[in-house]
Amino acid sequence: MSQFRWIGKPLPRIDAKQKVTGAVRYVTDMAFPDMLWGAVLRSKYPHALIKSIDVSKAKEKSGVIDVLTYEDVPGLNAFGIITQDQPVLCQEKVRFMGDAVAYVLAEDKRTAYEALDLIEVDYEPLPVVSDMEEAIKNTTKVHKDGNVLEHVVITKGNVAEAFESCDLVVEETYYTPRQMHTFLETEGGVATIDEDGIITVFSSSQYPNRDIIQIARSLAYPEDKIHVVGHPIGGGFGGKDEITTQILLALGTLKTGRPVKTVWDREESVIAGQKRLPLKITLKTGVTKDGRLIANQCRVVADTGPYNALGSAVMKLALEHACGPYYVPNTYLEGYCVYTNNTLGSAFRGFGATQATFAIERQLDLISKKLGIDPLEIRIKNALQNNQSAGLGHLPAPSVGIADTLNQLKKHDLWVNKEEYLKTDVPYLKRAIGIACSHQGCGLGSFFPDYGSADIRLLPDGSFNVKVGCPDIGQGNATAFAQIAAEVLHTDPDNIHVEIGDSRTSPDSGSTSASRSIYTGGNAIVISGRKVKALLLAEASRALGVAPDLLQFGVNNISTKDGDRSITYKEIASNVAGRKGTIRYTSRFDWPTSELEFNEALGLPHYVFSYISEMALVEVNELTGEARVLKAVVSPDAGRIINIQGLEGQAEGGTVMGMGFALMEDVILDEGQYLTRDLSTYIIPTALDIPEMDTVPVEALESTGPFGAKGIGEAVCNPITPAVINAICDVLDINITKLPATPEMVYNLAHKKIS
Amino acid sequence: MNKITVNFVLNEEPQSITVEPNLTLLEVIRDVLDLTGTKEGCGQGECGACTVLLDNAPVNSCLVLISQVEGKKVTTIEGLSKDGELDILQQKFIEAGAVQCGYCTPGMILAAKSLLLQNSKPTEEEIRKAISGNLCRCTGYTKIIKAVKGASGQTEEVI
Ligand code: FES
Ligand code: FES
Repeated sequence: MSQFRWIGKPLPRIDAKQKVTGAVRYVTDMAFPDMLWGAVLRSKYPHALIKSIDVSKAKEKSGVIDVLTYEDVPGLNAFGIITQDQPVLCQEKVRFMGDAVAYVLAEDKRTAYEALDLIEVDYEPLPVVSDMEEAIKNTTKVHKDGNVLEHVVITKGNVAEAFESCDLVVEETYYTPRQMHTFLETEGGVATIDEDGIITVFSSSQYPNRDIIQIARSLAYPEDKIHVVGHPIGGGFGGKDEITTQILLALGTLKTGRPVKTVWDREESVIAGQKRLPLKITLKTGVTKDGRLIANQCRVVADTGPYNALGSAVMKLALEHACGPYYVPNTYLEGYCVYTNNTLGSAFRGFGATQATFAIERQLDLISKKLGIDPLEIRIKNALQNNQSAGLGHLPAPSVGIADTLNQLKKHDLWVNKEEYLKTDVPYLKRAIGIACSHQGCGLGSFFPDYGSADIRLLPDGSFNVKVGCPDIGQGNATAFAQIAAEVLHTDPDNIHVEIGDSRTSPDSGSTSASRSIYTGGNAIVISGRKVKALLLAEASRALGVAPDLLQFGVNNISTKDGDRSITYKEIASNVAGRKGTIRYTSRFDWPTSELEFNEALGLPHYVFSYISEMALVEVNELTGEARVLKAVVSPDAGRIINIQGLEGQAEGGTVMGMGFALMEDVILDEGQYLTRDLSTYIIPTALDIPEMDTVPVEALESTGPFGAKGIGEAVCNPITPAVINAICDVLDINITKLPATPEMVYNLAHKKIS
Repeated sequence: MNKITVNFVLNEEPQSITVEPNLTLLEVIRDVLDLTGTKEGCGQGECGACTVLLDNAPVNSCLVLISQVEGKKVTTIEGLSKDGELDILQQKFIEAGAVQCGYCTPGMILAAKSLLLQNSKPTEEEIRKAISGNLCRCTGYTKIIKAVKGASGQTEEVI
């Protein structure tokens, strides 16, 4: 029997009933009386100077209340989590097609959109910076200080010497696409202002408390008069971490005194929304003849597009993960993050590790082929161990489960009986099994304060209110919070009321991103839960006149160990209320960090990592180049599993998202102009595309995590991509270096039409 | 623009509404009648988030003009549970863990409902086809397929 009452159980999501009945109101479902619609005028060019903006005709249109431009931004006309380089409303220059130039506020949606056509902007087009290597040369500058936003070099050992001693050195350059988050709910929300001047923004958000800082800065408005409710939202995946509509909504309501709603339509979301950064990754990897990794040299160029958002951090995570979850004694990791006039790059589930995983896992397969070593064995041989340093040179937390995940795959029926699975009846359909590993740093890494808080309070009816700041962006952290709280408080999840993602009520717990919310919120809940339990025990002891060590916890009460006398939580609540007291604790939890810090690469390294291995059975049609993923077996190590159904859901959803990245997804641009504009040209996997999936987790317990848990929301989309690509390359004996591997590309490579 | 009056049955209640003729069924449901369970994901017939049943057949309500529902029966997610009792599909979606962010869920459940109304024991291939016009970015579909199987009284194993 499990040692836990609730940890690890497949508890159904606490919000599922509201969702299956359509009762839940997402932030974009909100509506208020007298509400205006706000529509954004986007740029006409990918790169241009603004000579003048004339909004007079638009303002005259009946039903238009106001048209805002840069002149109306009271505070700093710029935002950005790391660098404030993105204008709220552009003044002298536009840097991509998604730039916001004006904001129309009208009585209804149609009027607002019609008014956009009446705004006259005089532009002077500039040469477009679309190639990232060209960007480094600074021939045309996207920002006045030049296009190189960040350049980082980190080394460990001595690669030059190490390559000399290697038996084999493999060098290749890889390119990854602009994947779009494609959450089903596009970016949007509603803002209101009350008679005391309190602004409340209901908006897609992964970190309401940080949004408040950004809104306050641009509105020159006190932070304590701004609230952000970031929940519930229809998917985030990183694309709602940076500001989307929050500042404009707040500005709109401040200027008009009326509620304002803005929801981007899908085309606007494609154009203005954040994307996964395209990376160019060159790896030079050296091994001994028995397949031991000796050296890895990496050069990354990352295209963050017009603004930083989280682009520079993505580049650094690519470097951190460029050696995979393997022990490599000598590394040279160099990265550039550059501005261009392409899509706005920012966070996307996997955050640089996804791109790096594709590159290093292709290298491993190239090596395994050249040396004639089984792809599973070469990975087991190099798998990082607890006492070994990672690619950046630091020791990760000693919960390194990568070898265990590989051993799970090795035992799986798909691997054991692979000869059976590889058979096909049709001569032009060929199958192979591809394998890949990945890992993912959890949390914000070094330097940046990374903390959480949970507020737990006993309610009059004897149940508990648990408040955590991190919103639930779809993955189900609120359910995991309920389980953790129920476990610590020795009660049932029915007695736990979780409130999240609302700056009006829940304490700041940081963002829901970076695989951090269960670890952070969970730890904060454990601290508060233990305190609350101690307070309950003291109260029970006092009321019953029995020493605490003679008492025991029930689900709703505390009783004497002989069971003779007891007091319910409801009674305790009433006793405490009688004295005008409360039973409540608000915790603070701070992340542990690595002993190593890099002043020249803030944020690196991470300390806690999740690990994952995956294998995919892929069938390739030699006549068309089409690849179908038939089976996927994923072995995640998320430390202690809090909710097995939730973990499987992450593994399955992440696998399908990673398949899309491998085979079909890319926002295509031509000199900064979007050729992909909607969901008819941006295709994501449907129910017809998915493989049979099996999740076989391992638990490498993390001593600093809640009950030993780490985070897993991101790592799940990393290994499937190279697993699928490795299988295709194996079947056709080709070398795919660029994603997505569309049927055309695969066909042309196989028929030597391209190299 | 001259308004038109359209009569139809929404979730078993007769409706008579007078609106501008260029409104879509989706706009009427969400903005006029304030039933926000039906979602907009693309507004162009590509995602299925706006799926409702029109005389029990699934349609993308973003592509249906309001005049087209004259005399028809429209079912939205709000009409699926009766007197607080969940439809078997809704129950199975909860049990199977088929809901994450939930934004695709109403459309997904209605597409599946229509399938089960016509075919009470669909094969897995038939289930996949029936929901192939409904995008889900969170779940990877496996648990959704499992839920639909479960609702049809079949073993929930997904092959
Ligand atoms: S909103 Fe109708 S199909 Fe996407
Ligand atoms: S559950 Fe989020 S889109 Fe399906």
